[in-house]
Amino acid sequence: MGIGQNIRDFLHGVAYGRYEHELRMQANQLNDLFLLLCYMEIVGLPNPATLYLLDVYPYLIDQFHLWHRRMGMDRSPLGNLPCC
Amino acid sequence: MRGLFNKDVLFFGGKGGVGKTTCASATALAASRAGKRVLLVSTDPAHSTSDIFERKIIADPTEISPSLHAMEIDATTESQRYVKGVKAHIAELFGHAILKEANRQIDLAATMPGAEEVALFDRMGGLIRGEDDRFDLIVFDTAPTGHTLRLIRMPELMEAWIKALSRSRRAMLGIEQDDKTDPIMITLNERLERLRLLRARLVSGRTTGFVLVLIPERLPIEETARAIEQLDEVGVKVGTLVLNRVLPAMTQDSFLAARRRQEDVYLKEIDQRFAAHRIIRVPQLESDVYGLAALDRISALLTATDLNGRALS
Repeated sequence: MGIGQNIRDFLHGVAYGRYEHELRMQANQLNDLFLLLCYMEIVGLPNPATLYLLDVYPYLIDQFHLWHRRMGMDRSPLGNLPCC
Repeated sequence: MRGLFNKDVLFFGGKGGVGKTTCASATALAASRAGKRVLLVSTDPAHSTSDIFERKIIADPTEISPSLHAMEIDATTESQRYVKGVKAHIAELFGHAILKEANRQIDLAATMPGAEEVALFDRMGGLIRGEDDRFDLIVFDTAPTGHTLRLIRMPELMEAWIKALSRSRRAMLGIEQDDKTDPIMITLNERLERLRLLRARLVSGRTTGFVLVLIPERLPIEETARAIEQLDEVGVKVGTLVLNRVLPAMTQDSFLAARRRQEDVYLKEIDQRFAAHRIIRVPQLESDVYGLAALDRISALLTATDLNGRALS
């Protein structure tokens, strides 16, 4: 890592450091919304694009797991979507 | 009719029982005789194509006459094929633990209502985009009107959904990481691109032609008028109508003469209401249509009316 990168990281920290927690929260919320949009069918809301999301599912499994842990549930709350 | 041979894709639609399969098959046969490499695709669950050509037609293109291939596709088979494709694709990308879980989710999602229809639509979309380059012209013999309208509107609907999804995804990525390298974003964008291309082809009068088949009776006339209107709403122009099973004008029989008098009223109405469209009249034949010889006869009628105006009515 060169000195340029160090300076860049320092400036990034100065600019965004104190907002980082808030930004992360916001990113998590947006990610939850995305998960809901992808799993709509499973919670009983029709989504005509479900079939086109099949190859996205493997990428979402970890995120779904993180979501229900973050929501304070040890196991998946959806019987038809068990992930652990 | 011959002008239609120069398109890439032709759709035949209309009310059930008016002769869609007959007209689509005869047109496909005529185009193949005129030197085009033609694929006839039946998406009608009734699957009469096998009956009309008097041979079993399967879900993959099979040559049934020189330079004419045919296939019958149905939603259930296409959905299984689609799921198999996705599983094969992800098997190359993920480890065992994730795959087991993902495959379970995929099986579940594929049984959701509507999934089969989307799979059928996806297969048609691939053909319309020209994935199979063995053919110059693809003729779709579709299910009755309502179903066809849904299929035509599908790209628009799907685009809206995928757009919403990628907007949501991009908003999140904007905070966390770069959206150019995100595999989900890449998949969504690919989908969007393919849907856009498909919609562009469907509404382009240069590449795609829509033919509605009707018979001179009250209900088919009303359904045709509605179909033209609804297709127009999604930007699709119907150019040609095939008016099928027109009774001969000269008849000694009093029963047939009475029917023909009633039909005359409808024929006039059709000419007035659909004045903006090219109407090809096909007369009622003395026998029903199946087999290559009978189809050739209908082909000749379809193309001849075009050359001699309405001489055959």
